[in-house]
Amino acid sequence: METVLSTDKLTKHFGKLCAVNQLDLEVKRGQVFGMLGPNGSGKTTTLGMLMGVVNPSAGSFSWFGEPATHHTRKKIGAVLEHPIFYPYLSGQKNLELNALIKGADPANIAKVLEIVELTARKDDKYQTYSLGMKQRLAIASALVSDPIILILDEPTNGLDPMGIAEIREIIKRIAADGKTIILASHLLDEVQKVCTHFAVLKRGNLMHIGPVDDVGKGEEIVEVQAYHDDLSILLQEFVGSASIKKENGLFEVMMKEGYHAKDLNRFLFDKGIVASHLHTRQKSLEKQFLEILADHKV
Amino acid sequence: MLHLLKIDLKKMTNYRTFWVICGLYFLTLGFTTASGMEILKWLASKGAEFGASININRVPLYHFPDIWQNLIWISGLFKIVLAVMVVISITNEYQYRTLRQNVIDGMSRWEFLQSKILTNVLLSLVSVTMILVIALFTGFIYTPEIEWNYFFVGSEFFIAYFIEVFSFLSFALMLGVLIKRSGLTIVMLMLASMIEAIIKINIFRSGVEDQIGWLKQFFPLESITNLVPLPFARYALQEIQDYVALSAVAIAIGWTVLFNYFAYLKLKKSDI
Ligand SMILES: Nc1ncnc2c1ncn2[C@@H]1O[C@H](COP(=O)(O)OP(=O)(O)OP(=O)(O)O)[C@@H](O)[C@H]1O
Ligand SMILES: [Mg+2]
Repeated sequence: METVLSTDKLTKHFGKLCAVNQLDLEVKRGQVFGMLGPNGSGKTTTLGMLMGVVNPSAGSFSWFGEPATHHTRKKIGAVLEHPIFYPYLSGQKNLELNALIKGADPANIAKVLEIVELTARKDDKYQTYSLGMKQRLAIASALVSDPIILILDEPTNGLDPMGIAEIREIIKRIAADGKTIILASHLLDEVQKVCTHFAVLKRGNLMHIGPVDDVGKGEEIVEVQAYHDDLSILLQEFVGSASIKKENGLFEVMMKEGYHAKDLNRFLFDKGIVASHLHTRQKSLEKQFLEILADHKV
Repeated sequence: MLHLLKIDLKKMTNYRTFWVICGLYFLTLGFTTASGMEILKWLASKGAEFGASININRVPLYHFPDIWQNLIWISGLFKIVLAVMVVISITNEYQYRTLRQNVIDGMSRWEFLQSKILTNVLLSLVSVTMILVIALFTGFIYTPEIEWNYFFVGSEFFIAYFIEVFSFLSFALMLGVLIKRSGLTIVMLMLASMIEAIIKINIFRSGVEDQIGWLKQFFPLESITNLVPLPFARYALQEIQDYVALSAVAIAIGWTVLFNYFAYLKLKKSDI
């Protein structure tokens, strides 16, 4: 698959602070690439370098296999951190300005306003918008040039649950068009739902990069509940259990390779116990994320 | 080029402050220059009441070709208003962080600066055109007998005036890029001439004045003022410089290029 973005030892120092440290990333066409990391781990700084607003201290990056120029950026729709617009201009006028800079067809404006459901308020000044409306306008401005790549930095910040779900749908729809998306977010659930690949940063260092599909592989966790006093002792006797944890009144049994919920169920039944709750869970991205961050001490 | 100008004008023409400040500038500039003769007549009549009668009509302030330099020198006093507008325009881009978004959207930093410079060119051209029109009108009204041989003498002051305004706007733009905050930049703009004067006083002490006094003309703000020398002393029968000195033009253009280049360097180097 064609490489859309690759970075080579990309580094940024702010004085003594190393915000991004020798980052090597590769994003291929059609990927929905999640960038994860705690606050201050360097996500926005990385995206800022990729979009030409932060000068790298060292290293390089290329879009579409070529060194980036400002022309490359016209093909990318990006919102970094906060929505940025002229407060005294209306939403419509702001988008016209974005389109003018990007060399986009002004006819797209009505379309993108429709997508983010701002058509009714398009002639109001930006400064009168609510936070969620500002976020929506930012997404509209990223879409206005019909970009091949979309870069979103916490795009659902400040949106209501409906808004979050809508943005997720928008992202999925855009991804289905074969567009490449880079998404920095703290909502791991979101990332797991929409992303195909993800990277984890910690204090500017790349801790992990890989497909999201791999997250659930290998290990299986089964939640069990039953009315029995010594359930935890019994569960330990089960040959398929690797470890047992009690959480929220449920037992979580980490299964050994090759064992599944039905084996556990049969085991309990043979002991004369009927489970009142039995649920197989795949490992969540959240769990893996926390593990990745805990594993490496940087 | 035109594309970049269009981008900046789109930002400005929908901005109320822009219209208010530019309106004030062009109105006061226009009224002052156009009605200068009437104001002087009124002052003279007031003076006459106190027994000091001057026949103002005998002073050829608004006569061709004197009028060119006279009006242009007066007009130069107003450029500070336009410069404040330029400062607001550039510092807004920092305050709203729209410079960042413009670059993200695909402008290069140089293109961004160009769009501002082009607006400065436009504002300077509009100033020149306005004064040209007003000078022609009032000149024809007040000149008793037009001597066509001398009609265009001194009209090169319009070129000097263009450089004067554009150079000062470039200076304001550079200050805005360097300081980024509007209030502080406007204060610096106001104080700049005074600071330069203090520096000159300290350098050119009476002992060395004779040997290195000629260096004064190389100071940035002085170079802008030197383009159009004060004309009115001629009516007190003093010798004045009634032409544009080429050296002054060269120095002022040099500084103008530097102002914009410094702004470019700063913009290029900084994270935005
Ligand atoms: N302009 C700047 N000057 C100095 N330090 C900065 C600047 N911008 C970012 N930093 C520092 O760089 C580090 C990375 O910041 P960055 O904004 O990239 O983090 P992030 O991963 O986007 O965090 P968050 O999840 O909170 O958005 C932080 O320690 C931050 O304080
Ligand atoms: Mg961030």
